[in-house]
Amino acid sequence: MDSFSSASSGSSSQYSTNDIMDQVKTQLAQAYAEQFLETVRDKCFDKCITKPGSSLSGSEGSCISRCVDRYIEATGIISKALFSQR
Amino acid sequence: MDPSALQSPELQNFLNQEKERAMINEMVGKLTSACWDKCITGTPGSKFSSSETNCLTNCAQRYMEMSLMIVKRFQNMQ
Repeated sequence: MDSFSSASSGSSSQYSTNDIMDQVKTQLAQAYAEQFLETVRDKCFDKCITKPGSSLSGSEGSCISRCVDRYIEATGIISKALFSQR
Repeated sequence: MDPSALQSPELQNFLNQEKERAMINEMVGKLTSACWDKCITGTPGSKFSSSETNCLTNCAQRYMEMSLMIVKRFQNMQ
């Protein structure tokens, strides 16, 4: 993503405030996604893979799909409970 | 990198906002993890039951109440 849109004096290797903000936003988003995925892996492994076999069974696979969906849903429910006035 | 780009108040505001956003995300993450463990006891279904949904909502709200309670009690001891 080439977003060197702001005019900067001097050499083309200088970063503007906007560039810094974009980079910080991107890195924070990546870190958040990685942490979230790590949590989902832990939870769904606990719930769905109770006795590891020599391959993932169909029921383990559907459990994992449902688990991911539910965990994302749970995150929304908790967010809403914390931050919307009722 | 132009060092003056780091001083701008715009950047400081932005960083403070992002810091706050990250703290909120962390709290939501921790609470979701804890409340999931407390409330989703069986195998995940294709949707939550109403008791699971209520449990999750209650869990978050009780946690916040508890937090306040702890602070107050702690302050009373000072």
